[in-house]
Amino acid sequence: MPTWEPVNQRGLKMLKVENLEVRYGAITAVREVCLEVSVGEMVCLLGANGAGKTTTMLSIAGALKSTTGKITFNGRDITSFSPERVLREGIAMVPETREVFPDLTVRENLVLGGFIHRGDHRKNKAQMEEMLALFPVLRDRQDQQSGTLSGGEQQQLVIARAMMSQPRLLLLDEPSLGLAPTIVHHIYEFINKLRSTGLTILLVEQNANMALKHAERAYVLSLGRIARQGPAGEIATSSDLKALYLGS
Amino acid sequence: MSAGTILQFVLDILSLGSLYALMALGLVIVYGILKLVNFAYGELIMVAGYTLYLLNASPFPWLVMALAAILMAIAIGLMTEFVAFKPVRSKSVTAVLITSFAFSTLLQNAALLFISPRARNVPLPDIFTQSVEILDVVIPIRNLITIACALLMLGAFSFVMKRTVLGLALRAAASQFTMARMVGIPANMIISLAFAISGLFAGVVAILWLGRIGSVVPGIGLEPLLVAFIATVIGGMRSLLGAVVGGYLLALIDVSFNYGLSQQLLHFRDAFTFTIVILILLFRPSGLIKGRETGLRT
Amino acid sequence: MLEKQNLRSLCLLILPVIVLVVLVEIMDIRLYSRIATTLLINLILVLGLQIFMGNSGILSFAHIGFMGVGAYTTAVLTMPAQMKSMALPDLYAVLKVVEINPILGIIAGGVLATVLAAVISYPLMRLSDAAAVITSFAVLVIMHTVMVHWSAVTNGPRTLFGIVNATDLKTSAIAAAIAIAMAIWFKESRIGVLLRATRDDEVAASAIGANISHLRWKAFMLSALYAGIGGGLWAHFITSFSPNAFYLRETFVILGMLVIGGAATVSGAVFGTFAVTIAFEGLRTFENAINAANIITRPVVGLTEIVLACAMIGVLILKPGGIIDTREIGELPIWDRLFAKKPG
Repeated sequence: MPTWEPVNQRGLKMLKVENLEVRYGAITAVREVCLEVSVGEMVCLLGANGAGKTTTMLSIAGALKSTTGKITFNGRDITSFSPERVLREGIAMVPETREVFPDLTVRENLVLGGFIHRGDHRKNKAQMEEMLALFPVLRDRQDQQSGTLSGGEQQQLVIARAMMSQPRLLLLDEPSLGLAPTIVHHIYEFINKLRSTGLTILLVEQNANMALKHAERAYVLSLGRIARQGPAGEIATSSDLKALYLGS
Repeated sequence: MSAGTILQFVLDILSLGSLYALMALGLVIVYGILKLVNFAYGELIMVAGYTLYLLNASPFPWLVMALAAILMAIAIGLMTEFVAFKPVRSKSVTAVLITSFAFSTLLQNAALLFISPRARNVPLPDIFTQSVEILDVVIPIRNLITIACALLMLGAFSFVMKRTVLGLALRAAASQFTMARMVGIPANMIISLAFAISGLFAGVVAILWLGRIGSVVPGIGLEPLLVAFIATVIGGMRSLLGAVVGGYLLALIDVSFNYGLSQQLLHFRDAFTFTIVILILLFRPSGLIKGRETGLRT
Repeated sequence: MLEKQNLRSLCLLILPVIVLVVLVEIMDIRLYSRIATTLLINLILVLGLQIFMGNSGILSFAHIGFMGVGAYTTAVLTMPAQMKSMALPDLYAVLKVVEINPILGIIAGGVLATVLAAVISYPLMRLSDAAAVITSFAVLVIMHTVMVHWSAVTNGPRTLFGIVNATDLKTSAIAAAIAIAMAIWFKESRIGVLLRATRDDEVAASAIGANISHLRWKAFMLSALYAGIGGGLWAHFITSFSPNAFYLRETFVILGMLVIGGAATVSGAVFGTFAVTIAFEGLRTFENAINAANIITRPVVGLTEIVLACAMIGVLILKPGGIIDTREIGELPIWDRLFAKKPG
């Protein structure tokens, strides 16, 4: 597996979100959210249901328009970019809804994952091989309709599909949602494998313990604002984490 | 009933159904992506018809004229998307619907103003008026051409949708539009592609339809539009296969009415078929062939 | 209950109707009187569409069909028996002898349209989006097919003539004024408010207990009543018509007026009707001038529709809710400022 970021870039700021505010009609879902992700890092966004984690992720991915704020990626302002342009910049998103294209086979899903490189068959083919090697279950089920896969298999498929575009930053929204603990464990093994290749990850998790075990830094969102931030170890041991989850 | 009558009955259904299926597919491909019931779809057929009429005096062979007519339908289809739908797409479903209705009236009246309210004959090769005799019944060759054309188009379309990246992208966008964008499939490209395919179907339908009726009038698009509505509703608005099945089913209903209803009642055929449409929408809102629920548009 | 600003809207919207009638009466030109009467009848039809579309947010194509129901009902009920034997020779014996007052005929047309709408639409009101649009379109096609082929009552696709001339400018003005008042009343009534809530957020509205299809149904019936009465008034004004008068072209014109003015407000419906009528008449004069001048060898047809279609698309692009899209004319802050300035 190739390393996409030269090692000497480690620690450089990659993604910067400043003063993000997103509204749904009259409701403000997130406000004054600032966060940063450096090259090679795995950062997690924690918080209770409705704290604004998914909203933040979707804004970065271009699927939601923010009312105010600025999102920069590798020094470039991507705030008003469409989802397809954000992807071309090198940010791929795995949404919590685990959206496979259900009528398409596993392989066809992966082919579409490499849509932006469709002119470069060799690149796509090599990447497809990598992904099928990394996720053996997908190789076994290449020709199966993806709508018929189990939850864990679908999760692997959407991660692999996102990786087909060879992103520099992966947005992972709730990869453990609704999965059995053993499968969650499995998924995190894959995530770690991807990380070892130098991939930068921004992770949203409700399962705080699981996320903090793997991430380097964490932000805790509460009622649409960043309530706490710091190294994962510190956040894990902070006494008020539970209180923040309850939204008080 | 003799074998000949049965053959005629079956061929009537197949040729009419082929036409209906193509009409329905052209409508449903845009519906699938945009959730837009495109009222201006019938006018694409009109545009192709008038192109053929205007090329009548040209020295080109007929096939070139037909090809030009089809290309014109595609071009106008793309144009409606760019000048009319694209600017209102983000606003509301109703706004886009009204726009398509307005655009349909616009094109019709443009034909009225710039060409004529009266019917215009289009050039057709002789083969469209010839017929063959099989099992003692006279079969117009145009019916056979229609069936062959439809099989070819459906085959090619199904190949594109199943085997090419763009076809897969279209299918993905029809079921999960936002997710498709998040894997890098550009929304505008997919929508334009859908309109181009819709125009292609309208163009081919126009040639085959004109082969039956021989002339073009400004209001020519209404009947194919109604047919496409009914067929898609019967078959299911979310499914491409449903549109095809709906087309053939509608032809079965229509041809049976033609054979079975008295002249008096035949006048009310449209009322009957539309009543069937309403009943289907009431009891099976997603049509006879269910597609998947689709995600929201942004 | 109507609040102060609703009453203000009501007065401000009836005002142009009164001004129109007074102006036309002073000028006393037959053509202007005809244009003004058509405008007022169209206003009733546009308001009818506004009642359903504006409050429920659902596009309906069926509206003009109910206009036809109203027109044919009153035509048949009011036509003198002698005339009937010529215009409608195949009419059923029972109807042959009926001959009622045009006002009663128009009301009967409205009632029949309402009853028919109630029966047809009851099962359709739970549909939304594309299904709702296609079914309403289907209803229009069905009604048109019936009108074209039910020769005994409608004279088939041919023109039905000999209808009593009973609608004048004042009758239509009074009807239009009542129509405006009722449209405002409906919008502010409990049903109207709930219905608008469902338009903005279907899920939330049903969560507070709004029975969406029932609310839509009531609005649809009132809307059909308007269409039926509008159709009746029109029948007694134009005195001869064919089923094609109640099909896509009329639908397009009425919808165009509403969309340009603003479907969500009564003010928008009134404004749209006036603006489009004035533009239409201007264009028609232009068309006639061109035709009379013989510049082009063929008669110019369809220009008005092209302009209206372009205007509709333009408005939808620039201001998708129409010119008056959210606030009624009486709710504008300018009035509060005006009144606040005056002492006491």
